[in-house]
Amino acid sequence: MSVIRFFASRYASSIIVLVASATVYAQGRGRGAPPPPPTPRAGAPIDITGYWVSLVTEDWRYRQFTPPKGDYESVPINPAGKKVAGDWDPAKDEAAGEQCKAYGAAGIMRVPTRLHITWQDDNTLKLETDAGTQTRIFRFGPPQGAGGDWQGVSSASWDRPRAQIATGFGGIDFGFEPPPAPGGSLKVVTSKMKPGYLRKNGVPYGASTVMTEYFDRFDLPGGDALLLDISEVNDPEYLAQPFWTSTHFKKQNDASGWNPTPCSSR
Amino acid sequence: MKIIPSILQVFPALVLSVTLYGQGRTALDVDISGYWTPALHEDGLERGNGPEIADYGGFALNDAGRLWALSYDPSRVTLRHHQCDAYVMPYQMRAVGNFRTWEERDPHTQQLIAIDVWAQTTEGHRVIWMDGRPHPPAWAPHSFTGFSTGRFVGNALTIYTTHLKQGWLRRNGSPESDQATVTEFIVRHGDHLTDTTVVTDPVFLSEPEVRSNDYVRQPGDHHVWLYACDDGEEITGRAPDVVPNYPFGKQPFAREYSQKYKLPFVASLAGAESIYPGFAAKIKTVTEAETLAKLQPMPNRPSETSHAPDPEPHDGEIHVLPVRENVYMLVGDAGNIVVQTGDQGAFVVDTGAGKLSDMVIAAIRRLSPKPIQFIANTSMHAEHVGGNAKLAAAGSDPSLPGSFFDLQAPGAATGHLADPAHHATMMAQNNVVIRLQAAKAPEEAVPADTYLEERRRKFHNGELIELFYEPNAVTDGDSIVHFRHSDVIAAGDVFTTTQYPFIDLKNGGSVQGEIKALNDILNRTGYEHEEQGGTYIVPGHGYLSDEHEVVEYRDMVVIVRDRVQAMIKAGATVEQVQAARVTADYDTRYGANSGPWTTANFVEAVYTSLKQPPGKVSGR
Repeated sequence: MSVIRFFASRYASSIIVLVASATVYAQGRGRGAPPPPPTPRAGAPIDITGYWVSLVTEDWRYRQFTPPKGDYESVPINPAGKKVAGDWDPAKDEAAGEQCKAYGAAGIMRVPTRLHITWQDDNTLKLETDAGTQTRIFRFGPPQGAGGDWQGVSSASWDRPRAQIATGFGGIDFGFEPPPAPGGSLKVVTSKMKPGYLRKNGVPYGASTVMTEYFDRFDLPGGDALLLDISEVNDPEYLAQPFWTSTHFKKQNDASGWNPTPCSSR
Repeated sequence: MKIIPSILQVFPALVLSVTLYGQGRTALDVDISGYWTPALHEDGLERGNGPEIADYGGFALNDAGRLWALSYDPSRVTLRHHQCDAYVMPYQMRAVGNFRTWEERDPHTQQLIAIDVWAQTTEGHRVIWMDGRPHPPAWAPHSFTGFSTGRFVGNALTIYTTHLKQGWLRRNGSPESDQATVTEFIVRHGDHLTDTTVVTDPVFLSEPEVRSNDYVRQPGDHHVWLYACDDGEEITGRAPDVVPNYPFGKQPFAREYSQKYKLPFVASLAGAESIYPGFAAKIKTVTEAETLAKLQPMPNRPSETSHAPDPEPHDGEIHVLPVRENVYMLVGDAGNIVVQTGDQGAFVVDTGAGKLSDMVIAAIRRLSPKPIQFIANTSMHAEHVGGNAKLAAAGSDPSLPGSFFDLQAPGAATGHLADPAHHATMMAQNNVVIRLQAAKAPEEAVPADTYLEERRRKFHNGELIELFYEPNAVTDGDSIVHFRHSDVIAAGDVFTTTQYPFIDLKNGGSVQGEIKALNDILNRTGYEHEEQGGTYIVPGHGYLSDEHEVVEYRDMVVIVRDRVQAMIKAGATVEQVQAARVTADYDTRYGANSGPWTTANFVEAVYTSLKQPPGKVSGR
């Protein structure tokens, strides 16, 4: 018996069933005109809208208070960054009208604040802070705008928990596509920011900084919810390696405590 | 012929595809296996070099937690039984050190059973059970890594952990109690893993503590996984009842941290409010007097009561917890009962309150077809001798018929030894007999086999069992019972996990004897690994423990003793000592303002036994 006959006799029925299953599955998915992809708002795997309040439990003294000049502990700052941090002068910033340098996109989430997150439209999330009265715009799709301000340009997407499992083998696609796992994160990539501070004491980030964030929502027993902002700041100018932080916020039922305040350089 | 390799490739691929499709929805969606290194970009200084004393900002420590931390002297880790303390789980996830994680799968079904985590620092081996098993009962042992169960929710591995030992939130003495539970969320974004821990501690925190830790995936083994720790003498000649601590208000380094970083002193002491926006502005109006008030208990206030759930079941059932080999802990009839079984009859330590004796007897019979042969009482307290009569009557001591004792007349001083075939032999330190007789306990409930000093030895069921006399501890007749081969110690009420020690002054108890008794336990224990496991301690009440729980309890008694002693030296009355709330940092764990043993009772007992050391028992 040839090898072909051997496989045909032993496995033909199984292969037919499997291929048929794949075909049916693929047809089922493709029956009729493909539905339009949902808008980012309609397809949101998690809901991060509402009011949130910072839980300042980490880097506490750097965040609740303005640390002394030159105190950049934990930040992987390079020599150029240290030099800039060593020249920090809040009075100069005030005189230059740049009190908001610590409230730019790469710094604002570490400032003790409340957040108000809303859908500006079906493709755009808006994140407002009461500290410094800042607004970040997360637009789904490719980056738009010239940037150059404190918050730069942010491009958003929904990120699934893992890459799609490759079901094909040897270059053959059998039509299987496991459904995406439930849940997901909001991924935000921000660039084109006006140079600012990672910390209020002048620890700098530069104009070429790119920050990648993942926002995750965790629901706690008892009804509370947490928002986690995992951030990776890449700054070839002032950082020796990516700067990672994970900043958490607790859900509020309403706008209690919302207290817009101007930027402060001190 | 070209089709042949295609088929060979295709068939397993199809099977694989279908299998993945079938499992993906319900099983593993986030793979966290591999080698991980923490990114210390947050709190790097304290996670690496270590935090400073009185750096409590950002922690929701309640008054008890803050006072506990302020009383902490870092030289406490020079004590032998603290030298190898492991990090308790939330801190282990936060501390410097690498991790390896891997999956355990059923070899037949490939279902996920558990995710294991091995931490480089303090060699923490953590198991996250993914198979839906329940958490152990409240009377089961605690560990530094706790008992964790997990499930995938959305894009996170969500974990719930209970049964943790007492440890640190931060290694400057900021405490986390053995009542803490942790909810955890682990998410992975590429090679970046983030673990968010939410610690709920009813004893030391006023609200949950949320922290998140980031790790980067490594391509291979870090090596250097071992953290072998052996304890030894770090300070020679130190008395065994010394536990380094600072009196309330006397922490010499309380201001060091705030002065170094030019922070308001009150800021570093603050609790939950220090977590939220606006804190810096809020504390500008705090006065120096208000700040200093945070360094010691607010006097003349009612003591806090325990926030710890009662670990003892009150369901009218007797629950059997295997301890080690043929030793079991029976829970449910008030005081804990220990049963050792074997070729000979059962050896029972304590008999509970006696309300559920029939069920106790039935439980013992399920453990062994042999009769109850020996009963040892750790003290004369009702919750340890209450079932004596019934359990003794249900047993027999086959070593006595035909012996010298068999010849004794009924009613002789040896009591029911006169009817050896139909009773278990009960043994205890002689003062138990004196106290029970003075209390007019029924004769059949009074031990007849007594000892006076040091110890009573019995080789039974293949192992040496020793009763050690602990004079003037809880009473003047306390024994601890050591099963030498099984390495289990029944501590009686010398050690509990539920309340301050019941120092029964009227029956000869004293704080000095209690401390000595706790140290005697510690002189007989050993840990298996990083200050946990090894010798098991069955407390008079509460959950099965090891030496770590005894050490923390010993520390507590010594520290309270020191505070009371200092006030006595300063001429304080017992009322003044009680009003000073010398137990304020332990009350949320052990305190009571009602019931048979209140905080005020305990403080009075400490005070009185320090003022009037116990004498010999009358009638001895």
